[in-house]
Amino acid sequence: MFETRHLRSKVILQLVLALMTIPFLLPLIEMVRGAFAGRGIYNFVVVWQTGVVPTFFKNSIILSASVIALVYVGAMTAAFGFSKLRVFGKEIYFWLMLVALTLPEVILLSPLFVTFTKLQLYDTLLAVILPLAALQLPFAVLLARSFYDGIPNELLDAARIDGANVPQMFRRVILPLTKPIASAIVVLTLINAWNSYLLPLVFLQNRSNQVVTLLPQFFIGEFSNDQTKILAAAVMTAIPTVLAYILMQKNFERGLAAGALK
Amino acid sequence: MTTNPTVTTSGRTVPAGRTAPRRRNKNSMNGLPWILPAFIFVVGLIYYSVGYTLYISTLDWDGLSPKAEAVGLGNYTAMLADPIFWAALRHTALFWVVTFGLQTILGFTLAAIMHSNVKFPTLHKVIIFIPTVLAPATMAPVFRLFFADDGMLNSMLKGVGLDSLAHPWLADASTALPAVMLITVWQWTGLWFILYYAAMGQIEPELLEAARLDRAGNLRTLWYIVWPGCKGATVSLAMLSFIGALKTFDVPYLVTTGGPYHSTEFLGTYIYRQGIRQAHIGYAAAISVVLLVLAITGAIIIGRANRKKVGE
Repeated sequence: MFETRHLRSKVILQLVLALMTIPFLLPLIEMVRGAFAGRGIYNFVVVWQTGVVPTFFKNSIILSASVIALVYVGAMTAAFGFSKLRVFGKEIYFWLMLVALTLPEVILLSPLFVTFTKLQLYDTLLAVILPLAALQLPFAVLLARSFYDGIPNELLDAARIDGANVPQMFRRVILPLTKPIASAIVVLTLINAWNSYLLPLVFLQNRSNQVVTLLPQFFIGEFSNDQTKILAAAVMTAIPTVLAYILMQKNFERGLAAGALK
Repeated sequence: MTTNPTVTTSGRTVPAGRTAPRRRNKNSMNGLPWILPAFIFVVGLIYYSVGYTLYISTLDWDGLSPKAEAVGLGNYTAMLADPIFWAALRHTALFWVVTFGLQTILGFTLAAIMHSNVKFPTLHKVIIFIPTVLAPATMAPVFRLFFADDGMLNSMLKGVGLDSLAHPWLADASTALPAVMLITVWQWTGLWFILYYAAMGQIEPELLEAARLDRAGNLRTLWYIVWPGCKGATVSLAMLSFIGALKTFDVPYLVTTGGPYHSTEFLGTYIYRQGIRQAHIGYAAAISVVLLVLAITGAIIIGRANRKKVGE
């Protein structure tokens, strides 16, 4: 966009870019510096020796995988129905779902707190999985439907003439074509589930049920105000996310960009 | 212009495709079983919760005890007279305008620079985008330190001789909200950048060439060609940050706990404080209803915008 004909303007542009990028790095530097302050690597050893880190990670993995599974299956099948099949009053169903698209999760807290307590779901992972999936699904359906709309109906007609029934058309014709949108939905759901904080905060009390976003709180309780241990815990939580992003840059960027274009 | 060939091909296939299945298996093309699982799950859980919230908002209740007193619209009249509720609304509006404005300026500029001939584009992109994938809950302790009295920000200010500006940012009611906004800008500029970068890739090179031939300078080209060309992205991002502002919870709750003196109170943190912490579940539900109305208004506007896009 900027034309740089001379060396001088090239250097200036590069400098401006560097100056704009550095502030994004500062908090990360502060995090690592703080985590190694005082007793260095020993901070990480102490955090690891509490023995809770693997539990929190395990719960986050179960939580994210369950939400992804629910959202993936629900979105792929529903979008197929909305886009390619006959449903009486289709758009009414669609709009009823889309209203949930922008719902802030905090609205669900009071009713779900009361209901989950009654159903004895309070303080189980399910109490977080169900609302998270329900909040993610409408948007995933919207994304998948607009992708399906771009698949020519002639492909399905051809399969039908070959004698395929509807589930076969879905499995053999549609699913193989939906990889790009499916990966966007999976990544978007993964980030939202892995980073979710409010629902776990309210619904997961026992430490054996808690997830990684609750780790800093846990260590604040454990080490009172020893910043270094808390930051070491933060670094340990951040590393897998950063690695996952660096290894799958395109997928993450596409997934989050798709999520922005509501 | 090039519609001719498609007319003939579809003219041949469509009638065959339409009549044959209708005769053969009318019921098997019924899509209802395909949409019902997701539909019942979403509509069941969410509409149930919303309905329940409406009902709870007419009660004076702690959420657990069997006795709940019906107070009609009492919670709503209390809310209208509650200065903290209005402060939370003001903070949300201000937060939206400022974060959206800053993220747009930064994201747009960064995208324009990266579309030029610069070195190490991937490295810069990764650094800018990493904050977007990190959980606010993970970064909260870092920012408490960053803005603290002995934190990085103050030591940098002192390093450049601005000692007078150095102070505990989060403990001061006048700077806590700007700090919360800055954290949000730090987190989301990466996404703004990615979207503007993609939008700029869609601008026809001929347009840029024409501007160059007319000897339009870099800034004029940016303002008259590139910025209007990114309008779609800007509209989407405005919506996204509106919904984001309504949902704001993690950062103010974890970094400043809504304080000091409610100076970083948002609707989300206030609902949590009232409903979960102080067990005024009815009052929290009434505020939730207001939040819901705002969010649905947003959803309708977004739906309209989407439909327009499809229509174009």
